[in-house]
Amino acid sequence: MGITHAAAWAKLPVELVGICSADPNHAKKLADEYGTKAFASLEKLLEQVDVIDICTPTHLHHDMVLQAAAAGKQIVCEKPLARTSAQAREMIAVCKKANVLLLVAHVLRFVPAYVQAKATVERGDIGNVAVQRFTRCSALPKWAADNWLMDMGKSGGMLLDLMIHDYDYARWVAGDVQSVYAKSLRGQRPESAEDYGLVMLKHKSGAISNVEGGWAYAPGMFRTSFEIAGDAGLIEHPADSSIPLAVYMKQQEEVADAMIPISPLSEDPYFLQAKHFYEVLTAGIEPRVTADDALAALEIGLAAIESVRSGRQVQIAEVA
Amino acid sequence: MRLGIMSFAHLHAENYLGALLALPDVEVIGIADENQKRGQYFADLFGVRLFESYAALLAEKPYGVIVCSENARHLPLVKLAAEAGVHVLCEKPLATTVEDSQAIVDVCKQAGVLLMTAFPMRFSPVALEIKKWIDSGRLGQIYGFNSTNQGALPEFHQGENLPFLERDWFVDKKLAGGGAIIDHSVHIADMLRWYLQSEVVEVFATANAIMHAGKVSVETGGLVMLTFANGVFASIDCSWSKPAYYPIWGGLTLELVAENGLATMDSMKQYTTVYSHKVGRPTRDVWASNSNVGMLNEFVAAIREKRLPAITGEDGLRAAEIVEAAYESAASGQPVKIG
Repeated sequence: MGITHAAAWAKLPVELVGICSADPNHAKKLADEYGTKAFASLEKLLEQVDVIDICTPTHLHHDMVLQAAAAGKQIVCEKPLARTSAQAREMIAVCKKANVLLLVAHVLRFVPAYVQAKATVERGDIGNVAVQRFTRCSALPKWAADNWLMDMGKSGGMLLDLMIHDYDYARWVAGDVQSVYAKSLRGQRPESAEDYGLVMLKHKSGAISNVEGGWAYAPGMFRTSFEIAGDAGLIEHPADSSIPLAVYMKQQEEVADAMIPISPLSEDPYFLQAKHFYEVLTAGIEPRVTADDALAALEIGLAAIESVRSGRQVQIAEVA
Repeated sequence: MRLGIMSFAHLHAENYLGALLALPDVEVIGIADENQKRGQYFADLFGVRLFESYAALLAEKPYGVIVCSENARHLPLVKLAAEAGVHVLCEKPLATTVEDSQAIVDVCKQAGVLLMTAFPMRFSPVALEIKKWIDSGRLGQIYGFNSTNQGALPEFHQGENLPFLERDWFVDKKLAGGGAIIDHSVHIADMLRWYLQSEVVEVFATANAIMHAGKVSVETGGLVMLTFANGVFASIDCSWSKPAYYPIWGGLTLELVAENGLATMDSMKQYTTVYSHKVGRPTRDVWASNSNVGMLNEFVAAIREKRLPAITGEDGLRAAEIVEAAYESAASGQPVKIG
């Protein structure tokens, strides 16, 4: 994700001061690409910057955010904000006390179709939200360093790391979530490397959401979709239907592990997100995603994990 | 094969009648309906005989009848038919409660007549194709299903200028047994039992009445999660979430995620889109095969061959158990174990 963020920052009037990574070769390569320096430690990098963008594995966010806040730096942090609710709450409190921003990268809030649907609901065009459906499925990711995504203790697994996109969006549109019920492949068959999950959210408004997530598709496949039904209308965004470009090759080429469907945009969501963060940091506009939003999305994910474990419907209050 | 239809309260009655009239070796001896005006309307429309009562229809000794009354009135009609020694194809859901569903199964067993539950999806060529893929083992271990059986508010079944059809009962808890959950979770529940050859052991449901609030008192939005004995889990969105002006009344979709891949199904995807000045909005004309034909052929064949139909009363009873557990779960907020 650091690579993606670096590419987005590079298009903005900011100075990319340096890159730090647990893998020095990785940092060097990326630094060379963007004409900047590789740093051996976060401490050294923090001495040189105004803003730090943290794209490390989830379980490391807490300590690094605290370190950056202590240094008085503004902070951008990849989602999920943290691995546990207690970590996230401490991070928020520390940043508030240090008077630094904690901006969390929930990129779905910058994906055009999702942004548009949110605006449609806000305008009242479909009335009160009643039933929402979300899908986000890909192949088992193999791109993560040391395969940290597969480590439940580090990432929270598919139920947290992948599905948090849609938890956050579901909550953005239909409001706070009260309770969560979930089933997952790894809950049913712990020996499975792949995972597949169905998560049902009950919002405080009474709205209900069905969230589907998976790391179980064929290599190269990635599908997303949503549907929002209200008491005065319906918004549909089916999978496989918003892809304006298709290429049919005569011979099957080797495909990447996580191919993004071909839907060209003049400004990609990661750039729009970085641009928004830039405006928040320089012009003082309100962030589209607050750290409290990120905490709420995290807690939905933690409730889903707890529901799979216990077999019960879990109240958000139980994992807060 | 002499057949009849009891009640036209359910709009599937005319679909079945139309299909029966086209079947070779089937003679529709007539129909009966406690709503005489409704009965006369369909008797005239299809050119069939209207009997003055169910007893009069049954006295003509049909081999079988199709019961298409309101859900809560299936039991008394099935009882009449069974006691007259007439085989029964009963509209889904079998009844509004497990107790009534069991009574329907028992009364047919005691009378020695066949009982089939109308789950036509088992005869949909599209649904059968997925069944073939599952049975072949090519998909490998099945992980889960994400499914929908959504529709418009069935109040729209009424027909704009035909209030005497009295088809607003779908939103009447007493006659329908509930709202979206009982109306739209049984088809998929039955399909998945058939696909997996495994029984549901746990049911979770969450529901609301945000859509059409004030107009109807039953749930209009619903999500049901089924867990099967073999570990597979499945979500069903049974909501009445399609607006009245949606291009089609609703539909049934499945996403099957498995070890070796993903299979998706949309039973209404075989359509042409029509933009007619007369309607003023796009509509979908479905050209998919009529699965009712296969279902009715099976009913006829089972009677003729004196064997159990491919879908039995027990299958209807299992679906009723799932529905009852879903309502219990929606009320308690926790999953309910069954079976």
